[in-house]
Amino acid sequence: MPIVYGMNHVSAPLPVREKVAFPEQDLHDAMSRLKRTDGVDEALILSTCNRTEIIVQMAAERAPGVLAGFLRRERPVSGQELERHCYLYAGREAVRHVFRTAASLDSMVLGEAQILGQVKEAYALAGRVGSLGPVLDTLLRRAFAVAKRVRTESGIARHPVSIAYAAVNLARDIFGDLGERAVMIVGAGKMARLAAEHLKEGGVKSILVANRAYQRADELARELEGRAVPFDRLFEEMERVDIVIASTASPQPLILKENAQELNRARRGRPIFFIDIAVPRDVEVTVNEVDNVYLYDIDDLQGVVRAAMDERRKESRIAETIVDQETEAYLVWMKSLEVAPTIVELRRHLHDMAEQELSRHRARLGGLTPAQEEAVRQMAASLVNKLLHPPTLALKRYAAQNGGGMRVRLIREIFGMDPPSDGSSDTSRTEDTAPESAELPARRDHR
Amino acid sequence: MHSSLILLRIALVLYCLGFVGAFAPVLARMRTGRLTPWLALAGWGAHTGALVALGTALGRCPLATVPEVLSALAWTTVLVYLAVFWLYRLEVLHVVIPPLVLVVMFVSGLLPADVVPVSSSLQPSLRRVHLTVILFAVAALSISFAASVAYVLVDRALKSKRPGRFFFRLPSLESCDSVGQISLLWAFPLMTLGIVTGAVVSAAAHHTLWAWQPRETLAVIAWCILAVVIVARLAWGWRGRNAALLTIVAFGAVLLRMLGFY
Repeated sequence: MPIVYGMNHVSAPLPVREKVAFPEQDLHDAMSRLKRTDGVDEALILSTCNRTEIIVQMAAERAPGVLAGFLRRERPVSGQELERHCYLYAGREAVRHVFRTAASLDSMVLGEAQILGQVKEAYALAGRVGSLGPVLDTLLRRAFAVAKRVRTESGIARHPVSIAYAAVNLARDIFGDLGERAVMIVGAGKMARLAAEHLKEGGVKSILVANRAYQRADELARELEGRAVPFDRLFEEMERVDIVIASTASPQPLILKENAQELNRARRGRPIFFIDIAVPRDVEVTVNEVDNVYLYDIDDLQGVVRAAMDERRKESRIAETIVDQETEAYLVWMKSLEVAPTIVELRRHLHDMAEQELSRHRARLGGLTPAQEEAVRQMAASLVNKLLHPPTLALKRYAAQNGGGMRVRLIREIFGMDPPSDGSSDTSRTEDTAPESAELPARRDHR
Repeated sequence: MHSSLILLRIALVLYCLGFVGAFAPVLARMRTGRLTPWLALAGWGAHTGALVALGTALGRCPLATVPEVLSALAWTTVLVYLAVFWLYRLEVLHVVIPPLVLVVMFVSGLLPADVVPVSSSLQPSLRRVHLTVILFAVAALSISFAASVAYVLVDRALKSKRPGRFFFRLPSLESCDSVGQISLLWAFPLMTLGIVTGAVVSAAAHHTLWAWQPRETLAVIAWCILAVVIVARLAWGWRGRNAALLTIVAFGAVLLRMLGFY
């Protein structure tokens, strides 16, 4: 069954995570060593700064020992540390955990987009290593679909969770597309530059820089590929920009309510957005009362971020339901995988029987023309197929049920694939003595 | 007559469902809003059928009585709303237009079917032109109204420093403003044409261009407000909150006149 073994930002402190994390260049070889480890059928390693997880397909009983041993060999970490900080999920819990991880429900910042990319990279690498099989391959591909569903059906990624991103989002709420917008930076500090860079990434068209010392303004403008404006023409220039980022060291507010009112008249109601990241503040609080002028200071932005976090937590409930549904769907698929070998075996068993009977009776049938012989052969085959149909359906049905294993054994016994059981359910013995045991290791592994 | 009533009921139910679908996210946090335009489209289909059936049953264009005109108004509004939604993807239309349409349809259903004709039947072809033009003007204006309502909502959310606390995605201020302006640019000339043809029809009926009836006065007041908004927007470049508020007032006056309350 699928197993997840590892640690994340909740279960382990950074010093331990650092030790366990796989350097990128080692991952390829580590995955292939993991795949070759005794008892491991399929393998993938997910290693990011917040988590290191080994995702494998193997028998649950052997997993803790084998996987802890693997990590101890690969990374400079003690068995005691692993015991204290690692979690192990098997079967349903492992599936759910992989889905939650890919959908960013297990992330430090709920709903952040990076983790999905990291999972996809790990999947691609495992593909190159060749360490994936049907179970993990499907599990990971389902996980990507789940992540996509979660992103589109819940609002978990919709709300901004950093101040800079919140500011850019607010600008989008006002102006929509930022492509034709102009930004003015008042003050040439580090914070101002940072904010401007974010807006630039957001797509704004032009950047103006105003600073008391023109020299600094000019330097920063050159860095941002913008234009410096003289400080005494501040308000004139403001008539033509859409976003103003204020971050001067001035002890008094620079932009007063009167200025804003005048600005609104000159701009004829076109909205303008003030982002005041200076402490003490550069823009009078009452500026926000002026029509079509929107003012956010650091605290306001922080409030937006807090509200966004709350919102994401609320949305995560929808996301969890999606994960639950998808987990169940995956488990049903996995159970159908469990009976697949039995179905294959059953088909071969009955067709072989028909084949044997045909060759036994050929002599007695005498000289058949090739056409007649073909007809007899076809009749036998179609008889077998007809007989096979109900038990095949039944097997598929049982696969989806809990405790279907007993009925599967019953079918195996009825069709003579297993010898009659004496009442005890000693599966290992029946499998050893069953015909065509070549099929059986696979079956045991999927259980 | 009977089949038209059944179709009308179906249309009403579908419009209702679309409306509920747009508001369901508040209660159940389900994203049923995307069904709304399709439900509205289905409703509009049924509504079209109802109008056609009514027309064939009556043997004339179903635009003669007040309920008929209101029903046609609802039909036109849904048509324009769907066209604008698929052009601009403004989800906020879902929560503004369907309730409006429902109000108009209910008023249309409440009035007795044989209520007095809109005006006496002189020059029926000119009256039909007048009504058609007015219906499309009001439908376009309702889009402008919806965009203006959205503008005011977004403005308040931004001012209160709690943006994004709505259950549906509000558009940006800028797109509210531009949709408001574009639909207004459609509504205003149609409205002007409608009022002029209305005056001509009235002149033919009452032998006076201007009867000073409250409903006409209301229409002209609305037209004046719209004229101010248009001039302010186009000539002076004025936009923003005040333009949105004026548009809302103008639409209120038009709606009052259409529903016949004064």
